[in-house]
Amino acid sequence: MFQFLIDALLRTADLALVTLGLSMLYGLVKFPNIAHVQYAMFGAYASYALHAAGAPLIGSLLIASVVTGILALGLHLLVFRRLLRAGPSISMVGSLAVSMLAIALMQGLAGSFPRMFKLGHTAPLTIAGAHISYTQFYFVCTTVVLLMLVTLLLFYTRLGRAMRALTNNAALANASGLNAERITFLVSFTSGMVAGLGGSMLSLSTGAHINLGNDLLLPVFAAAILGGLGNPMGAIAGALLIAVTETAVTNLNFGFLFGVDMKFLPVTYINAASFLILLLALLFKPYGLFDREVRRV
Amino acid sequence: MFDFLVFSLTVAGIYALMALGLNLQAGYAGLMNFGQIAFAGLGAYATGIAFSLGWPPLAGAALGVLAAMALGWCIARIGNKLASDYWGIATLAIAEILRTAATNEDWLTGGANGISAIPSLFDGLGRPWSGLAFLGLVAIVVTVCALLCRRLGNGRFGRALRLMREEPQLAACMGYDLRSLKSRTLMAGAAITALGGSLYAHYMSFVSPDYMLPAETFLLWTMLMIGGVGSTAGVLIGVLLVQAANVLAPFARQVLGFGSDQAGALRLGLIGLILLACLMWRSEGLVPEKIRKMP
Repeated sequence: MFQFLIDALLRTADLALVTLGLSMLYGLVKFPNIAHVQYAMFGAYASYALHAAGAPLIGSLLIASVVTGILALGLHLLVFRRLLRAGPSISMVGSLAVSMLAIALMQGLAGSFPRMFKLGHTAPLTIAGAHISYTQFYFVCTTVVLLMLVTLLLFYTRLGRAMRALTNNAALANASGLNAERITFLVSFTSGMVAGLGGSMLSLSTGAHINLGNDLLLPVFAAAILGGLGNPMGAIAGALLIAVTETAVTNLNFGFLFGVDMKFLPVTYINAASFLILLLALLFKPYGLFDREVRRV
Repeated sequence: MFDFLVFSLTVAGIYALMALGLNLQAGYAGLMNFGQIAFAGLGAYATGIAFSLGWPPLAGAALGVLAAMALGWCIARIGNKLASDYWGIATLAIAEILRTAATNEDWLTGGANGISAIPSLFDGLGRPWSGLAFLGLVAIVVTVCALLCRRLGNGRFGRALRLMREEPQLAACMGYDLRSLKSRTLMAGAAITALGGSLYAHYMSFVSPDYMLPAETFLLWTMLMIGGVGSTAGVLIGVLLVQAANVLAPFARQVLGFGSDQAGALRLGLIGLILLACLMWRSEGLVPEKIRKMP
């Protein structure tokens, strides 16, 4: 049972940071940025390269995430700002093109073979009979700390208040003298940084590989939509919900339905489970689980 | 070399069918369908399954078209209350669920190995002629579908779709049933795309879940955006351009001595670059849609 909780928590950590950035940025730019998951892949490769060049692990993670943040900001300045003038659907297809380019670049530079970090083996941590490796443990801790920091930033600072105001009503916020452009730059940078960090920490256990971003794409979007795009706290809850479902679906014993002792769903059905939740959510709560706004047509 | 040219043109023709199907939805009606490849996958799998049941090829294609139309109807129904980008992600999710099911349900689809040894349609004609005959068949089907799409797009139905895309509330006021328009568009697009999928299965004599990767849908979108959304000629030009980039990759591999990773990267990078450049500097595409102006 405890192992189940640990597994769900680990999966949440995989998804939460990338989802958070995606959702935060959506609130300001109002288009789902498909390239966002590729920032995670980029961060993973960057920290691998730094680590392989001899930098200490923590340092390479930090530098890689800052570099990813700068990349995200640069892309926003050069590409997305221009595309946004043509509307959200053009921007979404544009982010698709950026994401293709990112994969092509990384595949050309690093090849399609996964790059594993040379960390040396340590015995896994055992908490109440459940196993978790040290890197995973630190990953979860970092995620929790970062999420708390973002919450504090959002709800207890001027900047956070300005961000929430812009998300809710951009025209009104602009009219009351908030500098929308500067805040969007800042959020672009932060969301890229957080996604890069999430990707690098994920790659500590899976290795940096080309499909790291693509594998995250659908669960991350499912989580962000479940939480209501543009709602950072909802995004975290969405990630938790998706993670719990994925873990539950693969760990539940369906034997009683078929009259046999052991019957599990194949692991490859993991993704289908989260998409099914996404579809159900879209059918019944199209604007996320935590939507309180009243919409008039 | 000649064989390679015939092969590239045939594949381009099949992609053109799928892109025409997408253009009906995305171009005329403005529906952001990111799960288009599911229709092609249904067509391909229906052909494969019909073959393993011993049915004739035409029955397989018909089964595929019917299944895809049913799926299109269902997808149109969920899109009822959703904003367009949310709906796009829902279609993506549906396509992925279907792909996961195709990978896992061994008894029906052969699992990850797929269904192989599907007969090509003109095997009896011998080496160069079988390929040429298939190319001819694809060319005829593409021409018929392109003319049909143009007719549909310029007629009353197409005007209604454009009105729905630009001013949905006005269209509703004028008495159009938006939901029925949407489902009819999706079903028409699904039928053409499934036909393309069925031809693809015959041509490759093989079906696998990899046909339904989201990357394939993105490729179709690229073709559409490069050529010009909402214009039939534009779609065909876009297909040719993207297919040219596809064909270039193996050459680069031989001439520049690239490994297979670099060649794949070059292919993807070229397509991404063309798409991005088109979006940034020519977002209406190479052949822009002609909007009829009332005097």
